[in-house]
Amino acid sequence: MASPADLLARRVAPSAVIALSRVTWPARLGAATRRRLGRRGRVELFFAFDDPCSAIAVIDLTERLAGRDVRLLLKPVVRRGIEDDPAVELKRRYAIDDARRLGRRSGLELARREPLAAQDVGFLAEWVAAAPQGPALTRFCVAAQHRLWLESEGPVERADYGLLWRACLGGRPPATGGPQALRRNERLMRRRRPYDTPAAWVHGQWFFAHDRLAQIAERLDDLGWTAGA
Amino acid sequence: MNTQPLDFFFSFRSPYSYLAGPRAFALPERYDVDLTFRGVIPMAMRGQSVPREKGLHTLRDVAREARRLGMPFGPVHDPLGDGAIRCLLVSEHAIDVGREREFVLTASRGIWAEAVDVASDDGLRAVCERAGLEWAACAAALEDPALRARVDANTAALADLGHWGVPVFVFAGELFWGQDRIEDLEATLRDAGLDLPT
Repeated sequence: MASPADLLARRVAPSAVIALSRVTWPARLGAATRRRLGRRGRVELFFAFDDPCSAIAVIDLTERLAGRDVRLLLKPVVRRGIEDDPAVELKRRYAIDDARRLGRRSGLELARREPLAAQDVGFLAEWVAAAPQGPALTRFCVAAQHRLWLESEGPVERADYGLLWRACLGGRPPATGGPQALRRNERLMRRRRPYDTPAAWVHGQWFFAHDRLAQIAERLDDLGWTAGA
Repeated sequence: MNTQPLDFFFSFRSPYSYLAGPRAFALPERYDVDLTFRGVIPMAMRGQSVPREKGLHTLRDVAREARRLGMPFGPVHDPLGDGAIRCLLVSEHAIDVGREREFVLTASRGIWAEAVDVASDDGLRAVCERAGLEWAACAAALEDPALRARVDANTAALADLGHWGVPVFVFAGELFWGQDRIEDLEATLRDAGLDLPT
């Protein structure tokens, strides 16, 4: 016979989590109030430039949110994953195969075959974290992810991305504030609860953004931010 | 084309394995593959930590995915420990008598949608009998070291593949991790010319 503590841990608590996850009226009420106040929906995408699945998420989610009255906030991070995860290297290598297959679903072909080191693309995360959100920054992130993962295989040249920045946003990338902004993003990601990238936070729920794109769209539909509405 | 082997690594403690089960066992009906069920010891019993946040997210995500797939999810009874091991041992016995599909689907549904405590004899017996297995033979399987060795071998095989989680499918050396990657596996099976005429 299971003890009360055992029943609580094994049955009552997890079953309650599942039941509560199906309660949607507070989020729908919040969304309706937001719309009445003239505010747009909000999707925060936590992603990493060294993560090929993030590349798929940034590119695909941007397209899927077009036509919805939703603001996409791009939040790059560097620190991600489960602390002391013994499988971290295996996961990063597997992510390339996985992203290649996921990309094919959307007609994207991954060019890179080896993982990127976080420190090699950390400058991109700092630039983006320190810049103001908006369509130009989104254009840069999409273009940079394309170039990093779909159009190149070799080392990452900072100067190339500087030119890309100029083309998308004009001027030079931010020279200061990047590390602090990055840490803010990482703290926000922890507060929102995702433990790895790419993760989309959509009004109280979060989704792995590379393989739950349709579900993110469904969540926005449920909240009333439908395409073309 | 000859029938091709397809390995299906599964854990009774993984709700994603539960979601994958019905579609996995249906693959040989649509593709010329020989599906081998390979039950493995849960990750949390293999020295890999599962942070609280990951556990909570899994429950919420599986609830959404189950709704999308039209499968029941909750109430649950976490089988970590004895429950998972007992199901693994019975599943090896079920393989021997050709009823692994029935047992795996019935037991995982019991765990993840009916809160059956498979660590108890009453709970396990109920799912065994619903799956068409004789309880006496299942009870004997729980004490059979040869079946335990098969479970350990499956678990070691997953580690040898360089993989950590479940469900995992292995086809022609290629790994597909996740219930939501079955569509990619199916694309690969079609590319290999293995789809059967309908």
